Amino acid sequence: MSKTWYSDLPQYYQKQIRAMGLDEAGLQRRRFMKGAAAAAGVAMLGANSQQARAATQMTYMCWEGYNDPRIIDPFNKANDTEVGFDLIVDSPGGFAKLQAGASREVDLVSSDMPWITRMGPAGLAMELNPDDYADVYASFYDQFKPPFEPLISDGKTIGVATRWGWVGPCVNTDVTKPEVWKTYDPVFDPANKDKICVMDWGDWPILPMALHAGINPYEELDQAALEEVRKVLRAMFKNTRTIVGDLTQAQKGLLDGSLLGCIGAGSYLTSAVRKQGHKNIMAVVPDPKNGLNQGIIWVEATAILKETDQPELAQKLLKHVVSKDSGKVLSLLDSTCNVVTNKAVEELYTPEEKDILQVDYMWHAWDNSQMHRIAPNIDDMLSIWQEELAAAK
Amino acid sequence: MEQTATRSWHDPGLLVKALPSVLLQTTCFIAPLLMTFILTFQRTRDFQLRWTWDLATWTDVFSKPHYWTILGHTLVMAAACVAICMVLAFPIAYGLATRFKRFENEIKILITFAFITDATLKTFGWVLFLDKKGAANFLLSGLGLPPESVAFLFTDWATLLGMVYNLLPFAIFTLYLSIDTIDRSLILAAYDAGASKWRAHWEVTLPLCKPGIWAGSVLIFLLGVGVFLEPKVLGGGVSPMSAELIRQTFETRVNWPLGAALTLVLMVVSVFVVLLFSRILNMKRAGFGT
Repeated sequence: MSKTWYSDLPQYYQKQIRAMGLDEAGLQRRRFMKGAAAAAGVAMLGANSQQARAATQMTYMCWEGYNDPRIIDPFNKANDTEVGFDLIVDSPGGFAKLQAGASREVDLVSSDMPWITRMGPAGLAMELNPDDYADVYASFYDQFKPPFEPLISDGKTIGVATRWGWVGPCVNTDVTKPEVWKTYDPVFDPANKDKICVMDWGDWPILPMALHAGINPYEELDQAALEEVRKVLRAMFKNTRTIVGDLTQAQKGLLDGSLLGCIGAGSYLTSAVRKQGHKNIMAVVPDPKNGLNQGIIWVEATAILKETDQPELAQKLLKHVVSKDSGKVLSLLDSTCNVVTNKAVEELYTPEEKDILQVDYMWHAWDNSQMHRIAPNIDDMLSIWQEELAAAK
Repeated sequence: MEQTATRSWHDPGLLVKALPSVLLQTTCFIAPLLMTFILTFQRTRDFQLRWTWDLATWTDVFSKPHYWTILGHTLVMAAACVAICMVLAFPIAYGLATRFKRFENEIKILITFAFITDATLKTFGWVLFLDKKGAANFLLSGLGLPPESVAFLFTDWATLLGMVYNLLPFAIFTLYLSIDTIDRSLILAAYDAGASKWRAHWEVTLPLCKPGIWAGSVLIFLLGVGVFLEPKVLGGGVSPMSAELIRQTFETRVNWPLGAALTLVLMVVSVFVVLLFSRILNMKRAGFGT
């Protein structure tokens, strides 16, 4: 009997290794790692665990919500697989993690669109053939059908859009009128000192302020334009009561009226509160200013990692995530509610759910917004943010 | 002497015993620190690390004053936290070691419970208490005080409150251990020699507590310069400290070389401050400056 790499291990583990098909010669590193993780899981959970029965394992890096059992369990069952999750709390962090080596273990990623697009030139994401996804795109809103330019890098389609929403002032209509927020001027009004909340979500609060200053942050900026961004951020910090990274803090402030408006967020922040019945909290988009749309459309997208050893299964999972049933679940989570790119999902909404999602408002927001993409000077703007914040107090 | 030296460095048994410690220090401290240092000479472009080997990051660190403004603010906040913690912790630790010896275990359990409760939970609890519409203002307005009497949430004072609250147990326990080991007969001897309670405390108890005060101060200072949650949640993020600056640089800007450089600067400056104070204390102990 020939000696194998696992023959010195106890019989129990040898059985598990054979059961998982890890006894083939020339194992790929990623498959070995996944198998090791599964074996550890088996050891802990017992031989009757689901992991031991699933034929394959996959790893899905995503925002919380994409891992909802109502989305993933049917997929696991239909494909005899076990999807594990690597939850991200911010897109740059997820990107950095993939770059640092996690791309060897992850099969599929759902993140903010600019970061998905960046995965193309970074050599992380696989190029997708839109024809392979024709069945998926058939039920998409026209706006997200191929060629969907923001997800194309060097002529290559990097991902499929999944969920979207808009960035604009978040307000409590009991304490302020939405009409007042047809411009970002209230952010700078001395009467609103210590009543403005700014989300500490990287570029999110910077980009709308740049737009308010008449600068399009999605274009290459010169020094004069960056100086305008500096001025507008400096003015914004004068009225800022708090810069929060946590949704609940901003939501609480809006609800109790201690905050008049929240900048750098949008439908992502307000929808969960609306779901709880607080329809007085809403995300609006200011009117265009000097021909420049003031709102921003954010989109989340899903891409398949280049190093996946299960491209077909990853493709199946991607299609499953954007399907009608998954879309309904994804758009109405407890933590946040947002519209999805699959138009067919709209048929499933009740009038109440449409109201929560501001479905009647979404195309108005779209028409008055920029599409969020890679801002070429974002590092300069983030550096300015740090400088002005340090100087603000 | 020579024999001692031979036993110290040429004894294979001793080398074997030291090996785990050396390996641990090398792999878990020196190697990561070295990697961090190497990282500072690289650059990021398009959110990706480029191996360039230049001084651009260090030029950036030394040419932009806001990094140093934030560092200075961090050091002041940490020093203030040390001072407040020591003032608050000393009577608590003293009482625990002397007056309330009978309830020592119960009090220690209570402090330990507060200590092991998640800092995030405690910090957010303070937000609910100090908020404009929070419990503090509700209670005070019930007593007839004007609405929103407590209005220091999202200021440096709120940050300091959170820092003191979360770090106070470290001061209490280090001081308690120090006070508990004091030989009571020395204090009784001071009384016999005619010293008042205050004088005995000043000239016997306090000097004998110095190691505890020093250890607690260093611990709180080093933990204080690294606080992240309190300035963010209680301070409202409007007056950031170094840990938040480093987080932003690593996570939001994905500028790992700059983040690494800022981390090293914070480490070096913190250790320098501790060594400086240590030196001043040693000089005072040796009789200089008195």
